[in-house]
Amino acid sequence: MTTGSDLIAQLERLGDEFAAVIAPLADEQTIRAAQAQFLGKKGQVSEVMKELGRLPPVDRPLVGQAANRVKDTIAAAVDARLVALAAARRAADLARTVDVTLPGRPCGGGHLHLLTQVRLELVGIFAELGFAVAEGPQIETDWHTFEALAIPKDHPARDMQDTFYVADEIVLRTHTSPVQIRTMQGHPPPIRIVAPGVVYRRDDDATHSPMFTQIEGLVVDEGVRVSDLKGVLLHFVNRFYAGSGGGLDVRLRPSYFPFVEPGVEIDMSCRFCRGGGCRLCKGSGWIEIGGAGMVDPDVFAQVGIDSERYTGFAFGMGIERMAMLRHGVNDIKLYYEGDLRFLDQF
Amino acid sequence: MKLVWSWLLELCDLPLVPTVEEGARALTGGGLEIEGIVDLGAGFSGVVVAEVVGKRPHPGSDKLTLVDVISARGGAATQVVCGAPNVPALGRKVLWAPPGATLPGGLTLATKAVKGVESPGMLCSEIELAVGDDAGGIIVLDADDGTPLGARAQQALGVADWVLDVNAPANRGDCLGHLGLARELCALLGGRVVPPAPEPDLEALAADLDAAALARVSITDPSGCPRYVARVIDGLTVRPSPRRFAQRLRAVGVRPISNLVDVTNYVLFELGQPLHAFDWHHVRGAHIDVRRAHAGEHMTTLDGTQRVLEPTDLLICDGERPVALAGVMGGADSEVSPSTTRVLLESASFEPRSIRRTARRLGLPSEASQRFERGVDPELAPLAAARAAVLLARLGGGRIARGAVDVYPRPPTRPSVPLRLARTRALIGVEIPAGDCEAALVRLGCDVIPDGAGHWRVTPPSARADLTREVDLIEDILRIHGYANVPATLPALHVGPAQLVDDIADRARRALAAAGLAEAITFGFQSRDRHAALGLPAGHPRAHPVAVRNPMSAEQAVMRTSLLPNLVAAVARNISFGIADVALFEVGAVFLRKPGQPLDGEPTELCDEPLHAAVVLAGARPRWLGAPQPWDYADARGVLEHLARSLGAGEVRFVAASDIPYLHPGVAARVLGADGRVLGEIGEVHPAARERLGVDGPVFMFDLTLGALPAPTPAQMRAVPRFPASARDVSLLLDDPIPAARVRDVIAGTAQVLVEAVRLAEEYRDPARLGRGKKSMLWSITYRAPDRTLTDAEVDQVHEAIVARLIAETPAERR
Ligand SMILES: [Zn+2]
Repeated sequence: MTTGSDLIAQLERLGDEFAAVIAPLADEQTIRAAQAQFLGKKGQVSEVMKELGRLPPVDRPLVGQAANRVKDTIAAAVDARLVALAAARRAADLARTVDVTLPGRPCGGGHLHLLTQVRLELVGIFAELGFAVAEGPQIETDWHTFEALAIPKDHPARDMQDTFYVADEIVLRTHTSPVQIRTMQGHPPPIRIVAPGVVYRRDDDATHSPMFTQIEGLVVDEGVRVSDLKGVLLHFVNRFYAGSGGGLDVRLRPSYFPFVEPGVEIDMSCRFCRGGGCRLCKGSGWIEIGGAGMVDPDVFAQVGIDSERYTGFAFGMGIERMAMLRHGVNDIKLYYEGDLRFLDQF
Repeated sequence: MKLVWSWLLELCDLPLVPTVEEGARALTGGGLEIEGIVDLGAGFSGVVVAEVVGKRPHPGSDKLTLVDVISARGGAATQVVCGAPNVPALGRKVLWAPPGATLPGGLTLATKAVKGVESPGMLCSEIELAVGDDAGGIIVLDADDGTPLGARAQQALGVADWVLDVNAPANRGDCLGHLGLARELCALLGGRVVPPAPEPDLEALAADLDAAALARVSITDPSGCPRYVARVIDGLTVRPSPRRFAQRLRAVGVRPISNLVDVTNYVLFELGQPLHAFDWHHVRGAHIDVRRAHAGEHMTTLDGTQRVLEPTDLLICDGERPVALAGVMGGADSEVSPSTTRVLLESASFEPRSIRRTARRLGLPSEASQRFERGVDPELAPLAAARAAVLLARLGGGRIARGAVDVYPRPPTRPSVPLRLARTRALIGVEIPAGDCEAALVRLGCDVIPDGAGHWRVTPPSARADLTREVDLIEDILRIHGYANVPATLPALHVGPAQLVDDIADRARRALAAAGLAEAITFGFQSRDRHAALGLPAGHPRAHPVAVRNPMSAEQAVMRTSLLPNLVAAVARNISFGIADVALFEVGAVFLRKPGQPLDGEPTELCDEPLHAAVVLAGARPRWLGAPQPWDYADARGVLEHLARSLGAGEVRFVAASDIPYLHPGVAARVLGADGRVLGEIGEVHPAARERLGVDGPVFMFDLTLGALPAPTPAQMRAVPRFPASARDVSLLLDDPIPAARVRDVIAGTAQVLVEAVRLAEEYRDPARLGRGKKSMLWSITYRAPDRTLTDAEVDQVHEAIVARLIAETPAERR
């Protein structure tokens, strides 16, 4: 007859057997299967416990306690085994290495043209001062390009910007200033715009390209002054050339453009020598960056704006030149050749 | 224009004489940009004025002379060996380069033996000092030269001086002469201009002749010639001009010729008034008439060229024929010659446009025409005539006929210009004191008359034709006040028009850069050949570019109608530099004739300038380990889809197109928007087109018309799915020509709302397993319901229904 102590011995043996069974197992699935073999409804522990009913009631609690101990032992063995396996896997994973000096798989690598980058930056700087962006056609009427800007035919100023013609009254715009005219025709003051765009002149050497990019600015409102022009340019120069540590000065030098009066050339203090004189500023301490002035009353008359009530200023600068000054580009042709040896530098 | 510093100072009375640098700075600040300063005497140093006190033949050579010179009165003589044939008489002055002196080119002199006789330095010729062309002998100063012994040679030669290169604004014709610049310098520095005053000399040099009897002047075309002043100078001898006089002309860039010609040039540069000297004996009838040319008339100009004239040309005629193209060039028949003894001097003003037109048409820009084009003050003519007459009489040993013939039919009245203090201050942004405004204008030579409080009436000097409006006066007040004294302020912010342009071009640029491409910017024009590479048939909307009328080169012949040729040419250029893998894009305008415009010839209205975005891919994808992976059509399409998504363009469709001339007929598609509108083209560039542009290997491209894309609307959120999706695959066997889009269309045609996504997972051909002309496609369809978890049975039922439709309608077999 089976006794309680027999059953307890059997149960304890099962615990030892289980340890032996799972020792070589290396994956969770087989370990769980082995666990079911011992602890499942039809498992070996259940088989032993079927004998429980035959024992005297006084022996049953002790056997029950033994069965629970075995179940705990097996569960603990499973957990320990799984933890050990996981640790081994992690250790193996962490033993993995790559050659971190191998090249990266190419990603991105695209970029905007330097002139686009500079233009977007300029537009952003002027946007801080409330300037909107305006555009106009590149093939323009003679009227918008010259006549409306107080440059009649035979005017000497037409020499300053030798013109490509498409027809008698149609030209490739020589400056972005016709956008001033189109804007003033389309919008009553207040006006505050910048107009970036390409322009064309019959000029071709190391510093001139037959196509190049200008940015034009126009402010028309009541009470606009020369001092406002100076302030806007000063803000622009110090924001755009912020890398110089600020403190750049702007000098307005009297000049003549038919569509502004007074008209000025814009100089900024040389950011390389900070005014001391160097090769880039030809020793003058100043670098010319564009032209500007107060909108001429004759231009206002062309677009029907009352020049007694409104005043305004306009300025124009070459974007290539700004990029040259800031990025050291030494040949204007490089911008337009699609040469990746140049383009990829920016 | 070239400005000689000593000449300028002669015309100024300044309380404190500035250095040349100070003068340059003042003029630049006043708007007369100094583009360069040349020190005329910088070429040599140590050369001094010396007097010949003895000379004898060299014992060893009959070509050499031993010359004794002194460089200080009463000093010891030094014996110098001289090889020149023109060693002057004792008492004349020469230029001695003693040991230690340096000459142009860097030679430093020392004592050395010449044919056995020691020579401490040398006596110099013009060539050796680079002050002239005369190599025939040493420089001998004029007998009456007053330069002291021992003085720097520069002083004697008139090169102890500077030449400033002045860039005068286009509207300041008055600053194309030393007098005008002197007026500016005096206004800027606070001095008084001193014009030449020839009147006393006119009297002293007067001949017993009367100009009115020797010259009759009529102006038939007073609009072309507002004023004509003539003087007659008699008894002249043609000879070279004195050294320092000639040197000034050289300094301003004019070659001295003879005294008669040199004087007219001298006065031109001094006063800004061009002059012309006629040989009086060749002016027939002693009559000058100013008129327009007749159609078909011709004359020979003094350069010997026969000129065919047009009715817009203004002529100076004598009693019979044209003798000069007014303001542009004299005639061959009447110019002064070495035998000229009597000169008819012309000092006139001509209408700028007329001169400009003639000078341009004949390609004859000259110092004279450039000044007339900018406008010459008619009030200057009598002074210039008198000044030149005196100089001619002095330099040519002649006498001046009494009086000038001055024809000035309609002297212009210069209306005074009202000026308001308040407006001045408001425009500048500075509270300039009233007295400063007034003083500035007075310094510039204006008459300023108070006209009530804060108001003036201002009459500018006749030389300042550019001052006609209040704003012109304000500019000059500001010039004198100084821009440096204007503070920097910011304009009051009033809301103007918002963004006036769509920024789609920049959004496209950013998207394409993000896709890994480099942006190119190419010219708006191109050669005809480059355009022709597209192979467009006549009548194609892009086949008829607008031509540039006056290109500088063949590369600027026509405006581009497509971004493609320049981009493919850029590929070729990169390949030629060894860069085989090229991924470029450009976003920019192309230029198309407006509908209804003639297809050829010049347009009569502006063009359409649609914005395009174009991409070219050549060579392989960015290289990594392993074999290069050449770009293919799918790369181009992937970039295009990325771009369309970035621009919020919605779904785009691709329809095979074999009829696009510049694309490979089998690798080309039109790109359609959701509404069926054509957005652009995609494919492989036609081998013939790319070869013509210089590329040997495949180039994949697309070209989108940005304006055809639907305007983006703010994206609206769809509910994030709360229930899981189920995927089912179907493998189909199809006839090869059936496009993938067909399967997609059939699935879309079922309008099955549970379909969330359709993806082509695999596509391949295998004649052995699938049969010739067949292909296999594995499609993966994702199903989801927004409100519940779909059961397997539900998904299976929908999927099988779709598969049945695919089999029937595509048609296809299930594999
Ligand atoms: Zn510098």
